[in-house]
Amino acid sequence: MDVLGNYKSVISARAADKDIQKKAQDGGIVTTLFAYALEEGIIDGAIVAGPSDEPWKPEPMVVTTKAELLAAAGTRYTISPNLQLIKEATRSYGLDRVGIVGTPCQVQATRKAQLYPIGMRDVDDKIALVLGIYCMENLSYQALEAIVEDHCNQKMESVKKMDIGKGKFTVYTERGAVSQMPLKYIHKYVQPGCHVCLDYVANLADISTGSVGSPDGWSTVFVRSNKGNAVWDGAMAAGLFETKDMEGVKPGLDLVKKLATEKITKNQKHVDERKSFGLKADGTPKALRNPYETP
Amino acid sequence: MSKVVEISPTTRHEGHSKLVLKVNDEGIIERGDWLSITPVRGVEKLALGKTMEQVPKIASRVCGICPIAHTLAATEAMEASIGCEIPEDAKLLRYILQCANRLHSHAIHNILSLPDMYIPGTETKINPFTKEEPVRSVALRIQRLREIGQTVGEIVGGEAIHPSNPRVGGMYMNITPRAKAKIYDLAKEARVLAQEQMEFMIAVFNDFQNRDYVEVGGAQVPVPDDLGYHDQGYMATAPMYGSSSLDDNPTWYPERFTEVRPWDWYMGEMEVSEEDPNYPIGGTTAVGTKTWPQMQACTGVPLYDGQPVEVGPRARLVQFRNYDKKGAMGLQIARQMELPDCAYGMIEACEALNTSGKVVADNIPQGDGSLGWAANEAPRGTDVHLAQVRDGRLEYFSLLVPTTWNFPTCSRALTGAPWRLAEVIMRAYDPCVSCATHMLVVDEDKRIVAQKLIQ
Repeated sequence: MDVLGNYKSVISARAADKDIQKKAQDGGIVTTLFAYALEEGIIDGAIVAGPSDEPWKPEPMVVTTKAELLAAAGTRYTISPNLQLIKEATRSYGLDRVGIVGTPCQVQATRKAQLYPIGMRDVDDKIALVLGIYCMENLSYQALEAIVEDHCNQKMESVKKMDIGKGKFTVYTERGAVSQMPLKYIHKYVQPGCHVCLDYVANLADISTGSVGSPDGWSTVFVRSNKGNAVWDGAMAAGLFETKDMEGVKPGLDLVKKLATEKITKNQKHVDERKSFGLKADGTPKALRNPYETP
Repeated sequence: MSKVVEISPTTRHEGHSKLVLKVNDEGIIERGDWLSITPVRGVEKLALGKTMEQVPKIASRVCGICPIAHTLAATEAMEASIGCEIPEDAKLLRYILQCANRLHSHAIHNILSLPDMYIPGTETKINPFTKEEPVRSVALRIQRLREIGQTVGEIVGGEAIHPSNPRVGGMYMNITPRAKAKIYDLAKEARVLAQEQMEFMIAVFNDFQNRDYVEVGGAQVPVPDDLGYHDQGYMATAPMYGSSSLDDNPTWYPERFTEVRPWDWYMGEMEVSEEDPNYPIGGTTAVGTKTWPQMQACTGVPLYDGQPVEVGPRARLVQFRNYDKKGAMGLQIARQMELPDCAYGMIEACEALNTSGKVVADNIPQGDGSLGWAANEAPRGTDVHLAQVRDGRLEYFSLLVPTTWNFPTCSRALTGAPWRLAEVIMRAYDPCVSCATHMLVVDEDKRIVAQKLIQ
C-alpha cells in the first residue's frame, strides 16, 4: 500500500502574506488557500475550527470572509467536529459552495457523505473544496488540559502557541515561558478510535498539508485531485505562496513517508489484534468490527 | 336505467383512490363517489403518549408532498394546547416555509394536470415530457419553480422534505443574513417565473373549458359549461398561513365541525355494468366486478355546519378575494393565481425578518390537557390538527386534512359531467390522498364500522 496516497505533485510551501505567516501554525497553507478560494468565488464559505469560549477548545464555525478566517488560524491539538456543520452550512448559512478542512478521518467522512448522501440531501454537490491536514493521532480536550496544565505545568489561558515536533510537545506562553513534554507520554491520552486509522496524510482530500518534511515555518503540500490542482495553480499564479522544491528541503519527503509508514504499521497491528479480541460463548474469538472490511 | 362505471385506481395524483360513478344512458354522471382506498397510516394513534416535541415529526411523515404543512399544523396545535406564544421572527420563518411549500406543490400539480389539456388554439394534447416547444420551456419553468421552493424550504426548514427546524416554541435556529439574501434572490426569480407560469396555465385551462369536445381514450367527449360545479360552501382560514386557537380572532370554529362515517355516506354494494377498455391507463374496471364504496372508503366524512365544504385555493380566494369562478377549471385557475403570491409572501417576510432576533419562546409550558387546534392553509386547503398535551405528552390527536374535506365535496361536483371527465374534475382538487386516510376504531359505535371493513 502506498502510504502517501495518490497525488499529482508535492511541494514545500509557505504563505507569502506576512499576516497569515504570523498567525498560522506552520506555512499557513489552509488559511491562504481558503482566502484565495473565497476571493475567487470557488467557495462562498468554509468550515474551519474556530475559537470558542474555552481556551484552546476549537469549535466548528462557518467563515465567509478573510478576517474571520484569520481569527480561526492555527492548530489546536484537540478535536473540532467540523462535519457537524456540513449540512447546516448548506441550510441556514445559505452556502452553495462549501470548503471544509479536516483530519484524515474527517476527510474520509466527507467523501463518504458525497458517495452515499444518506441524510445529506443536496449537500454532496455543494462540497467544493476539501483540504486535509496530516494527523498522527488526536486528543480529547480533557487530555490536552492534562498535558498542558499537569505535564507542562502551564495555565491554558496563558498559552500562546502549542506545537508538536521533533519528538516533543511544546507549549509557548504569552510571558515567554517555553515548556516541553516528551511525546512518548502522549500515548495514554490518545483517543482509542485513532488506533484503527490507516491514513496519515489525508489521502482523499483535494489538497493535504502539514509541517512534517519541511523546515520550520514551511509546510509540505500534496496536491491530489484535478480540482485541487486547479486551485493550487491559481493560488500560485496569484503569487500567494513561496515554494521550494521538495527534493531540496530537509528533512524531506522521506520523513513523511517514514511517519506515515510508522502510523499505518502500528495501527494495522492494532486492527489485526482486534480480530481476536474477546470471546464468544463457545470459546472462539469474537473480533471487534474492522472498519476496513465490509461485514 | 343507470349503469355503474368504476375508475380504479385514479391516476396522476398522490395516493390511492377510486371513482365509482352511476351514469345514465348518455354517459352523464347521476351520482359519483370519489373515495380513498389508501391503507390507514395510523399517525394519530402512533403519536399518542409521545412527547410533544416528537409529534410534529411523526405527523410530518404522513406524506412527502406537504410535510411542511403537517409539521407546522402539528407544531402549532401543540403550542395551542400548551398556550405558548412564539417570537415574531419564528413566525416569519414559518411563513417563508409555508410559501416555499405552496410554490413547490402548486408547480408540481401543473405537471399532473397538463396531460388532460391542449396547447391553446391547437388540437395537440400536452405531453409535459416532450422536448418540443412551447412545452419544454414550460416544463423547465415548472421544475425551476419547484427547485426554488425546495431550496428555500431547505434553507429555512433545514430539510425540504420533513423540515427539521420548526419546533414546539418556535424554530431551532434563525438563518444568517447570507441565507436571507439567497432566499430574497430566489424569490425575486420565482416572482417572474410564477407570473409567466400563471398566465400560461390560465390560458390552457380557459381553452379546455371553451372547447365543445375533448378526446379521452379515443372517444369525443362534450365539455359541459358547468363542468365540476357544486353548491357546497367554502372553508378557508387565511389567504396564506392559517389560524389557531391562540389567535385573538380564530377563523376556524371547532363547534361547527361534525363527522360521519363512510358507511352512512357513500353508496352501497353494486356491480360494475359498463366498462371502457380504451380509457387511458388500462381501461376502467371490468363489467361484473363488485364494488362497495361505503365499505371500501377509509376516510371519515367531515362536515362543516352539517355540509361537506370545499377547501383549497379557490376557497381561500372566495373567502378573502371575492373570487367567483366556479367549476373544475375555476379551481385550477384559482390555484395558478396563488403562484405569484407565494413569491411575494417570501419577499415580504424576508424584508420583515430580523436575522439576529430570537426564535424560541423563553417559556414553553408543558400543558394541562386543554384542547388546542391549529389550522394551516396547506397547498390543498385547510389542514386542521387538534391536540391535547398534558405534562409534555400527547393525550389526544386528530388530523382533519384538506383532501378529507374535499372527498365528499368533489363527489357532489361530479354530478352532471360526462363520466370520462370525472378524473379531470377530481384532478382539479389536487388530491393528496394518503394523509386523508383515517384510523376508524375509536369507540363503540365506530368499532362496528371497523369490523364491517375487516369482513
